[in-house]
Amino acid sequence: MNELIHILPVSLILVSAVGLMFMSMYENKFSTKQYITVSSVLLILALILTLIPLGESYALRPYNNIFNDVLIFDSFSNFFNILLILGTLLTLLIGENYFRSREYFKGEFFSILLFALFGMMLLANANELVTAFIALEIASFAVYVMVGYHSEDSKRVEAIFKYLVLGSFIGAFYLLGVVLVYGATATTNLSEIAAYIASNSSEDMSLLYIGLTLILFTFLFKIAAFPFQSWVLDVYRGAPMIITAYMASTFKIAIFSFFLRAVLQDIAPMIDFWDSIMYVIIIFTLVFGTWLAITQKIVKRMLAASSIVHTGYLLLAFIALGQNIHAAYATVFYLIAYLLSALGSFGIISHIISETKVRVTYDDFKGLAKERPYLAAMMTIFLFSLAGIPSTIGFIGKFYVFTEAINAGFILLAVLAIIATFVSVYYYFKLIAMMYFYPTKEECLENDFNDKRVSTYAIAFLAIITIVGGIGSAIVFFIPALNIDTLINMTQIAIQSLFIKS
Amino acid sequence: MSADILSFIIFLPAVVAFGLMITTKHVETVRNIAFLTTTVILALVLKLYIEFEPSAGMQFVTNVPWIASYGINYYIGVDGFSLTILMMIAILIPTAYLLLWEGRTKGYWINMLLVQAGVTGSLLALDVILFYFFWEVMLLPVFLMIGIYGFGDKVFTTIKVTVYTMLGSLLMFVAMLYLGVAYHAEFGSWSFQYDNLTQITSLSYNERIWLFLAFLSAFAIKIPIFPLHTWIMETYKNAPTGAVFLLSSIMAKLGVYAIVRFLIPIFPEIYVEFSAWFVFIGLFGLVYFGVAALMQDDIKRMFAYSSASHLSFIAAGIFSLNAFGINGALYLIIAHAIATGALFLLVGIIHDETGYKTIKDLGGLAKQSPIFTTIFAIMLFANVGLPGTNGFVSELLIIFGIYEFNHTLGYISALTVIIGASYMLWMFQRAILQDREGETLKFRDLKIKEIVGLAPWVVLVFLMGIYPDIFIDKFEPTVTHYLNDILHIGAAK
Repeated sequence: MNELIHILPVSLILVSAVGLMFMSMYENKFSTKQYITVSSVLLILALILTLIPLGESYALRPYNNIFNDVLIFDSFSNFFNILLILGTLLTLLIGENYFRSREYFKGEFFSILLFALFGMMLLANANELVTAFIALEIASFAVYVMVGYHSEDSKRVEAIFKYLVLGSFIGAFYLLGVVLVYGATATTNLSEIAAYIASNSSEDMSLLYIGLTLILFTFLFKIAAFPFQSWVLDVYRGAPMIITAYMASTFKIAIFSFFLRAVLQDIAPMIDFWDSIMYVIIIFTLVFGTWLAITQKIVKRMLAASSIVHTGYLLLAFIALGQNIHAAYATVFYLIAYLLSALGSFGIISHIISETKVRVTYDDFKGLAKERPYLAAMMTIFLFSLAGIPSTIGFIGKFYVFTEAINAGFILLAVLAIIATFVSVYYYFKLIAMMYFYPTKEECLENDFNDKRVSTYAIAFLAIITIVGGIGSAIVFFIPALNIDTLINMTQIAIQSLFIKS
Repeated sequence: MSADILSFIIFLPAVVAFGLMITTKHVETVRNIAFLTTTVILALVLKLYIEFEPSAGMQFVTNVPWIASYGINYYIGVDGFSLTILMMIAILIPTAYLLLWEGRTKGYWINMLLVQAGVTGSLLALDVILFYFFWEVMLLPVFLMIGIYGFGDKVFTTIKVTVYTMLGSLLMFVAMLYLGVAYHAEFGSWSFQYDNLTQITSLSYNERIWLFLAFLSAFAIKIPIFPLHTWIMETYKNAPTGAVFLLSSIMAKLGVYAIVRFLIPIFPEIYVEFSAWFVFIGLFGLVYFGVAALMQDDIKRMFAYSSASHLSFIAAGIFSLNAFGINGALYLIIAHAIATGALFLLVGIIHDETGYKTIKDLGGLAKQSPIFTTIFAIMLFANVGLPGTNGFVSELLIIFGIYEFNHTLGYISALTVIIGASYMLWMFQRAILQDREGETLKFRDLKIKEIVGLAPWVVLVFLMGIYPDIFIDKFEPTVTHYLNDILHIGAAK
């Protein structure tokens, strides 16, 4: 019975996805609003189920005879499942306005969204390389479809093909890696690979090293690190705005959930082998992402490019994993911080463009503060958070990452990352300057839209969390709920559950 | 109550600002409530000033965990140094409100409140991360003020000032993290409290120099010390009066304050070793900015250079390693804040009324506005350091201090004060006194409100000039503590 509770959320999402698919057969009977409501309710239900065991430290492999040890359920996966469900739910709520204003979002879209979530949750629970691949592909294929969902946009063809072809190509790398790993160790189960690594000297493991490095490439591709970032700008540009938000934040978390598990629990010695590769990759990711971000004129592309820079920060914490376990908390915290700010910033832009089609470039955002002071203020908060300005959660996230990077001895990388942060102030603040310091452009003036929507409240909720998460409850003493330390405790429990021998 | 009074002083303006932001649209209401808030703070600070024990070190300390897993605390307190500057801020800001009274918008007043919260917070913070938090937060409202209410190429100016100060801040941030990590490596627990960071012994000489420079870059940009000053020209020229006032009178002083608060205790030996360089750079800045000021035609730019010139002098005093110099520098911080603040506000009035900013367009103001001219002259004399004013006392102390540090530099510093006198008086003669026909003749005199606002400053100029002991007594023990206990060089008196 105890085991049932843990597998319930994943199963619920799967059932919901299938259910919504059936529901979409009767397309004319239900409105988009109803689909959103149903999906949200199901997501909230799943969220509640995942919240029940929160804060406990456990690790179990339920129904061993059915799942054959390919899935593992622990505080770690549970923690990530919460983030993934939350990310999806917030995407849905923020996109409410966007989905309803676009004709092409039919019922099956929500089914696909839940399939994506199912794939990602499975990925967080995967304890075996092939299972992880299947989970990854379930999620990826759902995302491919969603990227190309905008049937009238000419850019979508380019976007979906670029992503699909490159994604499948890198998927082949992964499989090749798995084959090599299997060749070396005669297993694809993570725990058994760990046992193999522990019992063999490093000379015998060259095949394993090559195999795992190929798998690492898949990881780097999915999170858009250099040199696998070339798809990001066009794919993010061609995808519907809200899907971009989903990919940049939630999907990235799912990718990290599996690779963090693999690296921490099983193949920790590999990190040292990767050090020099990662070192170079981080430098190029930061430099290249920054350069891309500066040169963009379209806000959406700027945010997409800046997400490469954030990947660089995440990798900075990732490389520090080899030195100490605290870097794992920093990585997870940064993922949360980035989830909030990226969902917020992408979401707010999708909210704005869902009723006005003109706000695309920096120039189009001129004077937004006068027309929509609250939206502009919230956008400012998210941009501050992305830039790592104090009083936002982004600052705390950066603080952890940089501290751990320095602690692990990567001082030059940390300095480089700080310089990238410094430059990021330029391209984020440029947008703030546009919103506040210029009069409105004429063609943007006449469109007025209804602000009292679910999306607005969802975005406002994110903005508040971003601020409270940055200030912390020690200062805002009258809000006891969200404490930074509680969040860190949760991440610690989650990470430590990886080391429970079960 | 007395334990939380500092938190109250820090957060009251911010809370009021957010309250006003979402509740009302009436500019007058916003302004009046904002002004009331600043007077409440003034009253609280006065209470603090009276209760403060000069020789008791750090007082009114609050120390509660903020981010416990990294040992970051909400750690605030006040000693002689910060109290003096706190007092100055508390007096200057409400009077500035009176001078800026008319024709501002809601956002202007809200930003003023937010700056006050940030400035006070960084002044009282004793945990470096908390300090960094406020240090960055206080920049944002100024950023908005310049961008929204500025003149000329205001967006470029905003980006420039932000980029400059952020660069310094981020270098400082790396240094802070590095210190925290070093502390963790040595003691096994995390801490970012400045008094804990002083105990680190594991850092090598080279590491200390780099960290020292990283910290200094942030402070030097804010002050600004030559050659990190290039942002101030556009900023002071294009920024609205309120922002210029805040930047020059208050935020620049926090740079100096932070040197004393963090650099001296954490890197005492580096500080002593390199002090000669900084005294020299300070004096060079004094001359360089002074000469630059002489050549300016735009009156705000002239004040910008003059301000930078005096701040360089303050920096020279801070690095002079003796009680005269440091006391004098602290005294000049106050004196300069009063004089420069008043002058920028008065020039702001000239600009608002006549639209002129260049010296050659002005003239003949004296006839139209005797009270204006009188107060302008008093502040000018205080700025130049005429005997009887607070400027005199502070400059004298600094010159003594530098003389004791190095006789030759002492003579030089005494002579360079002349430059300040010449450009100020020359400007005064051209812009205010000399006869001139035309637009400037319509210039109005000060209103009662503005006179009331400026009156305490005028009183302070003379009170501090004639009877400095009542002020110096409050911070002298702190200075002595710094010299004796931290730098171990003995307070020469």
